[in-house]
Amino acid sequence: MTILKVDNIHKIYPSGTHALKGVSFEVKDGEFLVIIGLSGSGKSTLLRCINRLHEPTSGEITFLDKDITHVKGKELRGIKQQIGMVFQQFNLIKRRSVLTNVITGRLGKLGTFQSITENFSPELIEEAMNALRIVGIEEKAYKRADSLSGGQQQRVAIARSLMQNPKLLLADEPVASLDPATSNSVMHYFEKINKELGTTVICNLHFLSLVRKYASRVIALKAGEIIYEGLPHDIDEKWFKTIYGEEAEEVEIR
Amino acid sequence: MAHVNPHDVMAKRKDKEILKSRVKAALLDFFFVFYSVLVVDRVIWNKFILQVKNIPFSWTEIGIIALVSLVVGVLWSLTGTSLSSKLFGISKKNSVTKYTFEIFGWFLFNITFIAGWIITKISIVDLFSEEGLNAAQRIFSALFTPEMAIFDEALFAIIETVYIALIATLVSIPITLIVSFASARNLMNENKFTLFIYATLRLISNFVRSIEPLIWAIIFSVWIGIGPYAGMLALLIHSIASNAKLYSEAIESIEEGPVEAISATGANKIQIIWYAVVPQIILPFLSFTIYRWDINVRMATIIGLVGGGGIGTMLIQYQGLAQWHEVGLIVIMIALVVWIMDYISTKIRQAIY
Ligand SMILES: Nc1ncnc2c1ncn2[C@@H]1O[C@H](COP(=O)(O)OP(=O)(O)OP(=O)(O)O)[C@@H](O)[C@H]1O
Ligand SMILES: [Mg+2]
Repeated sequence: MTILKVDNIHKIYPSGTHALKGVSFEVKDGEFLVIIGLSGSGKSTLLRCINRLHEPTSGEITFLDKDITHVKGKELRGIKQQIGMVFQQFNLIKRRSVLTNVITGRLGKLGTFQSITENFSPELIEEAMNALRIVGIEEKAYKRADSLSGGQQQRVAIARSLMQNPKLLLADEPVASLDPATSNSVMHYFEKINKELGTTVICNLHFLSLVRKYASRVIALKAGEIIYEGLPHDIDEKWFKTIYGEEAEEVEIR
Repeated sequence: MAHVNPHDVMAKRKDKEILKSRVKAALLDFFFVFYSVLVVDRVIWNKFILQVKNIPFSWTEIGIIALVSLVVGVLWSLTGTSLSSKLFGISKKNSVTKYTFEIFGWFLFNITFIAGWIITKISIVDLFSEEGLNAAQRIFSALFTPEMAIFDEALFAIIETVYIALIATLVSIPITLIVSFASARNLMNENKFTLFIYATLRLISNFVRSIEPLIWAIIFSVWIGIGPYAGMLALLIHSIASNAKLYSEAIESIEEGPVEAISATGANKIQIIWYAVVPQIILPFLSFTIYRWDINVRMATIIGLVGGGGIGTMLIQYQGLAQWHEVGLIVIMIALVVWIMDYISTKIRQAIY
């Protein structure tokens, strides 16, 4: 079943940058789609258009058979609730506890008054603890978020998105600021969520070794256009040079 | 919406930008020329070189100068070698532009400096004249032999001043909070209506801030009568306008990441503010507010001079009677309190961070 359909998307920022130039693809339920491409090729822009943090300039995005390209207000918030997102810089609330950070994943379903009085039910807290258990850091629940290491913070961010019970999980270079060992362990949690919870994952990555290990399918962007779509193992030397330029050489990360 | 051609959007946007810069540059060039002619003619030529005492003022003359400047400025701008076209980045890149930029820039700076010197009537002679030095000595010696008889009265007045400042600061907090959130661009760029509120609030608070608390004190002492209440209101209104600017700038410079992350969960505006904005601005807000109390104490003494109550009112009374020993005591007490407040507020602000 197709969960997401992106059709001829263009994105022009107010600054005038033409970041996406007619991108189209489909994502099937349960896929682990990885997007690769050089810096500035439009990967982040694409993810932000999918969960409508940005509004595409033209084109159409269909999520669960619904056109979400220009939805607004309450309806837009409803769409965002069903799509989790993990960022390169983790983007946690630094001064608050890990548990509070995880609970923010549920804000879309909580009342405004209840959320600013922070009156959370024991069931909600238990669910948050459970999300933390999935990423293996429930013992950090009452620590301040910024006291955690980068890898731990990214796991908290994953737990936060799990609280949304997302149909689709977007990850924008989730391991780009982590060391190789930690990268692998964080990627492992994405794999676990994809395999065990059946959540569809779209992930931007830089390292081909990680792409080959985790992706079920790959899309490569170059200057805002798709130049490759296929299986990770079909990216040979020639494709690699096309995607990353003649100068590039592949580095291994295990 | 589906049939927008992205390339048209881009081209249109670029043309519009360039046109806007052209218009702005032409207007600025007009202003530069107009300004130069006025300054050179009125201040340097008439006032300084010809030593004319009362330069005749006529709107027709100004109008003619403006008209000529407009023509010269716009024509100059159109050549693409003017100062402003360089400033707006739309100039031709040749040596003419380079020279106009340097020469005319220097010229503007120099005539401004010279005119400033002439208008300020800077005179070394006045500063060190015998008569002047004697008067200064009289006041200084009186200030350093303060009259202690009015100590009780002065102490009471200065406590009044500190309280005026405190109440003005405390009352300003909730109002400032509301105003600052509504005048932070990154929170108000949702739609035309919120942008309108943003722009209106900015305008009002810029206006209020540009009027000194001293003037507000005069206004309020006429409005509700001389005394501490008028002083407090003057400080209050100025605190709100000043802090709203600082607060809203703090809000505008927060890390965008958490805001993006929280809004990606489907949270609404209020939830985003509570979870992603508030934790980032609490400390700067506290710090600004304490600093504002410190500033308000200084200002409260000044405001007293025009009838805002407290130590300032007392000071102006003794100054009017030329009782310099009493004035001496008051000045020393003000200095002491201001210094203490400064010390406390610095300590608290350091402790917060
Ligand atoms: N908010 C924005 N406003 C204006 N231009 C932007 C914005 N975000 C991205 N861009 C521009 O859009 C283009 C694509 O950027 P994008 O961040 O999508 O690339 P990316 O592939 O994610 O790169 P990276 O690997 O460095 O994260 C770049 O030229 C960038 O400068
Ligand atoms: Mg990016």
